Amino acid sequence: MTRKSYAWLSTLIMIAILLTACGSPASQIPSQEPQTTQAPVQTEEPVPATQSPSQEPQTTQAPVQTEEPVNTTGTSLLPEVDPASVSGNIITAGSSTVFPLSERIAERFQEEGFTGEITIDSIGTGAGFERFCVNAETDIANASRPIKDEERTSCQSNGREPVEFRVGTDALAIVVSSENSFVENLTLEQLALAFSTAKTWADVDPSFPAEPIQRFSPGTDSGTFDYFVEAVFDTDETPILNAENIQLSEDDNVLVQGVEGSPYAIGYFGFAYYQENADRLKTLSIEGVSPNAETAESGEYPLSRPLFIYSDATIMKQKPQVADFVDFYLTYVNEEILDVGYFPASEEAMKVAMQAWLDAVGE
Amino acid sequence: MTNQTNTIIQSYMKMRKGAAEKPIDLRKRPRPAEKLIQGFLFACGALSILTTLGIVYELGKEAMLFFRNPDVNLFEFFTGTKWQPQILEFGILPLLNATLMTSAVAMLIAIPLGFSVAIYLSEYASPKARSILKPTLEVLAGIPTVVYGYFALTFMTPMLRSIFGQNIVQIYNTASAGLVMGILILPLISSMSEDALSAVPRSLREAAYGLGATKLETVLKIVFPAALSGIAAAVIVGISRAVGETMIVAIAAGAGPNFTFNPFRSAETMTGHIVRISGGDLSYASIDYNSIFAIGLMLFLITLGLNIVSQRIVRRFREVYE
Repeated sequence: MTRKSYAWLSTLIMIAILLTACGSPASQIPSQEPQTTQAPVQTEEPVPATQSPSQEPQTTQAPVQTEEPVNTTGTSLLPEVDPASVSGNIITAGSSTVFPLSERIAERFQEEGFTGEITIDSIGTGAGFERFCVNAETDIANASRPIKDEERTSCQSNGREPVEFRVGTDALAIVVSSENSFVENLTLEQLALAFSTAKTWADVDPSFPAEPIQRFSPGTDSGTFDYFVEAVFDTDETPILNAENIQLSEDDNVLVQGVEGSPYAIGYFGFAYYQENADRLKTLSIEGVSPNAETAESGEYPLSRPLFIYSDATIMKQKPQVADFVDFYLTYVNEEILDVGYFPASEEAMKVAMQAWLDAVGE
Repeated sequence: MTNQTNTIIQSYMKMRKGAAEKPIDLRKRPRPAEKLIQGFLFACGALSILTTLGIVYELGKEAMLFFRNPDVNLFEFFTGTKWQPQILEFGILPLLNATLMTSAVAMLIAIPLGFSVAIYLSEYASPKARSILKPTLEVLAGIPTVVYGYFALTFMTPMLRSIFGQNIVQIYNTASAGLVMGILILPLISSMSEDALSAVPRSLREAAYGLGATKLETVLKIVFPAALSGIAAAVIVGISRAVGETMIVAIAAGAGPNFTFNPFRSAETMTGHIVRISGGDLSYASIDYNSIFAIGLMLFLITLGLNIVSQRIVRRFREVYE
């Protein structure tokens, strides 16, 4: 009797193990592909790039679509997208700075009918390119700086040719606690001092109190750090990493809390993040220019930087949903971007991006 | 089972009757299911050993890559006071120091409180008080450490700052993380010590009372020394736990390696550093990536050392009563 129950037990265990082993991958198979009938519409897409400025929307949906008041920017070179007509998944990863923007656009894409899944991982620009180029796992890389040459090379060695789309402008906010009453403006030189060798605020400017500076910086993996080092330290990260009392974190919350915690603390991060915490923090003017939409867009504010998404022509052709998403992104980004906390890119930059889309899809 | 014994008895009876029938088969019967279960259990045991071996191997391999790197100098690794792998500064002291500081603060809380709780529970508490207090303490042990981390950051730190002053206590500091870690370790130490105290035979206590000792004298001079080996083991397990604790220090202690002996300033522990660095996008071939394995190896050696010491102590101070 006992022997029998042992046998039962062991077979049960074996079955359970087998089930768990085979079960998990099976359950991940996406169950939604009801739109096979509409697929042909997508494949017909190639729009002759050269004659497109008249924004003639594509094929079947034409009669309805032409009446539609196109985007508010009014200058879209791109065909109108109907998110409901595409399906499949879109995988994006990269800059934590671009993340809220991509998230917003993705939400809108889904609200307007897209039924597939959009993944947006906020892992930093460098990691985003690593996944896009080296691992070739993602369809789109979000980036808060232009792609580096070695990243482009590693992409190419994997058969991917990154195509750049400018989506906006970010400004780095240099922040201090709202309790800090002695700093309003720093020159770039003073800023460099404050984030490197200066021990106390008096070392930055003799009129400041002789209290030790507490420094908060995004971690070395983030595009924000790279950008700051590039803009303030001429791409040499040694001085900032050698600074005493510096705390580096990928988690912007850690920075906000840290800076807020003491009137003698200083930190920096994307302007969007400052806006969320504007009641607790104070931005500094740099070289007499305070960060805002005009100064960032015009480049007058010294710490403004471009935001990009990158994809690849082959992916955009193989996965029409990716091409459509990028199209949608470029078409509507300017309606959303201020709300997210960044500034629109210049009109020319947007035109270049749209042309890049047309070139990529048209080839 | 009973069937088998019956048949054995029957055949025995037959033998006694003198009938020269065939002899009983006393060989062990083959039991395939039993074998299967035994094999399965053995595999489970072997798996945990293999996992440990695998971890040690991987840790050692990656750490060797780090130590072999020409930019790394073993002497500087142990004596340097700056840890910033990005610019090739590899001195583990700031991380080690922060780990030791948070652990020391934690033990400062956990040892006295833990012992007091243990003595109260095993010697003084009425069964009713015990039945309430003990489960409550165990709940404390079950709270996820990430919750403790935010408790440190949003409760302990503001409290310290209101006591000692905003400008003395930084927002991230080792004292706050250490204090909360002490609360985390408290139940561990108290329950292990209590087990040790309860294991001391009743006769010892009665002998002490018989000689006119008060309850406190009995506890402190007789029971406590008798349970010393178990209590020492509890302390060392507590220290290992404190050294390895990650979430609390990652959240509350700070995010930058900082060589300081001031518990009110921020500093990053070894575990906190590993968490922060591995959360980013280090490429696998970089020295930064290998460096976290070197830190991991150090942590492993520290806890291994503590475990060995604890076993020694247990053997050395064990008092055996019949």
